[in-house]
Amino acid sequence: MHPTDAVPPDRAAALLDQVRPEEGAVPAFLFSDPEIYRLEMERIFARCWLFVAHESEVPAPGDYVTRAMGEDPVIVARGEDGAIRVMLNVCRHRGMRICRADLGNSSHFRCPYHGFTYKNTGELIGVPFEKELYGGALVKDRMGLLQARVETHAGLVFATFDEGAGTLADYLGPMAWYLDLLAGRAEMEVVGPPHRHELRANWKLPAENFASDAYHTMHTHASIAEIGLTPSATWAKDGYHVAAGNGHGVMIGAPTRRFVFSEALRPVFRRRLAPDQYALLERMAHMPGTVFPNLSFLISAVTLKGQFVSHTELLQWQPKGPDRIDVHTWLLMEKDAPPEERERSRQAFIVTFGPSGMLAQDDSENFTGITQNSRGPVARRLALNYQMGLGANAPVAGVGPGQVLEGKYNEANARGFYRRWLELMRAGA
Amino acid sequence: MSVPADVRAEVLEFLHQEAELLDDGRLDDWLGLLTEDVSYAMPIRLTRERGQEPALSVEMQFFQEDLATLRLRVHRLRTDFAWAEDPPSRTRHFVTNVRVAAGPTPDEVDVRCNVLVYRNRGASAAADLISGERRDRLRRVGGAWKLARRVFVPDQATLGVDNLAIFV
Repeated sequence: MHPTDAVPPDRAAALLDQVRPEEGAVPAFLFSDPEIYRLEMERIFARCWLFVAHESEVPAPGDYVTRAMGEDPVIVARGEDGAIRVMLNVCRHRGMRICRADLGNSSHFRCPYHGFTYKNTGELIGVPFEKELYGGALVKDRMGLLQARVETHAGLVFATFDEGAGTLADYLGPMAWYLDLLAGRAEMEVVGPPHRHELRANWKLPAENFASDAYHTMHTHASIAEIGLTPSATWAKDGYHVAAGNGHGVMIGAPTRRFVFSEALRPVFRRRLAPDQYALLERMAHMPGTVFPNLSFLISAVTLKGQFVSHTELLQWQPKGPDRIDVHTWLLMEKDAPPEERERSRQAFIVTFGPSGMLAQDDSENFTGITQNSRGPVARRLALNYQMGLGANAPVAGVGPGQVLEGKYNEANARGFYRRWLELMRAGA
Repeated sequence: MSVPADVRAEVLEFLHQEAELLDDGRLDDWLGLLTEDVSYAMPIRLTRERGQEPALSVEMQFFQEDLATLRLRVHRLRTDFAWAEDPPSRTRHFVTNVRVAAGPTPDEVDVRCNVLVYRNRGASAAADLISGERRDRLRRVGGAWKLARRVFVPDQATLGVDNLAIFV
């Protein structure tokens, strides 16, 4: 047993053997078991490329936000050199949390415990009474804040503490192409800080939902059609279900009855996207997806107050224990969108997502209910059913990269999510 | 500027009546307490270092409603598919520390008060607690007080709720 393994290998193997994505079977205990959760922290969250921020959250030198990578706290800071660094928010002396604000601007961070001071590049530059107390024994240049590797795609900043991980481009695979549509179609920025609320659910439930579950929209969100935001309860049925590599999943609603994005920015979209990307953007009605493990996104369009309005959002499911998520939801907007369109998008976002959102509200009911049920000694052993679309795989060509299936209602992406999950969970053994 | 005692008494009565309508689930009646041009907002609270305020974002908010979107939300709760409130939760709005000041016009008052919303659901003994300050503007319309503006400033940066399917 590796000294850092949280769970005895035999026990881990016995649990993981019950996860059979190829048969469309996922045991309920995955959504509350504390041993599974401890393994996920080590084998998934300490290894994968994780989203930490959008570039526009730290636009100027000295800007920082604090975030989490799994349960590890990090500081995302832009240095005087313009580079964004992601550093463990843990003092190298005695482990105190150094920065305790959500965001700000600072050239340095000082630990409250003994006053160890770090530049916003992570370099340790000050230790009170260093010469008197340590002589020359303290090797300061080995005591900088622990640095994660940082890479960016379409303004989305990702980080990993795994030195052995491949590049972000390798990690994203075909998903990068779809992220361009989401976040690279124009110069984008987040609008204000993210909505945050603590959802009493397992992090995988919303992650697999955004990757794969268009089927739920018909019933879970039937109220949305009834109040006229969408034309019918089956508004999210037609389109494509795309396995985008490495456990990533994206779904494209298509065709659309009308262009969902800003007409004024069409030339920008056309210039920034490749012709095949732009062709899909034109046909797209909406686009939910998940970058494995815990970054989801959505392009959504609804009719609000008689006007057709779209918005783009990022959602991150920060695990806080097996049955708790610190949910972050950001509104992402084209910087150059006309002011009245920005205002409409903001209202459509708030009305539909974030904790008060009329779609998010009912999603939360499902995620919390499944999490609660998965604790029962009988219920936890149930193999939950993920069979939809098994054996009916005839990919269509000419839409985009990855394995593109016709029709959004499918569970192939959820199976892909758990297949990747299983590979990583087993790879640590 | 202080307001006459009878106005203060009317404001208190208004706030207590409003809490009763919300807690009794009489949301259509609650909509009747709002002016046509009501604005209803709940900004995001932030944790910031002292001196790096504002610790409040109005650029992004938990609620940013007008009468049309509030009606839409109430309408949704009346459908057969509003799972987050079916079965309904039990709420109790505790309204206290009420301060009434003169508003910008003779027919308006600015009211600040502390609010604690308790929300319990299903068989669980656990409950959501939403604590915050309301910054309201009431307007006298046809002899009755109505809510023209509400800003609910929550005390949590991360709301301790699965959802906000209720009103604050």
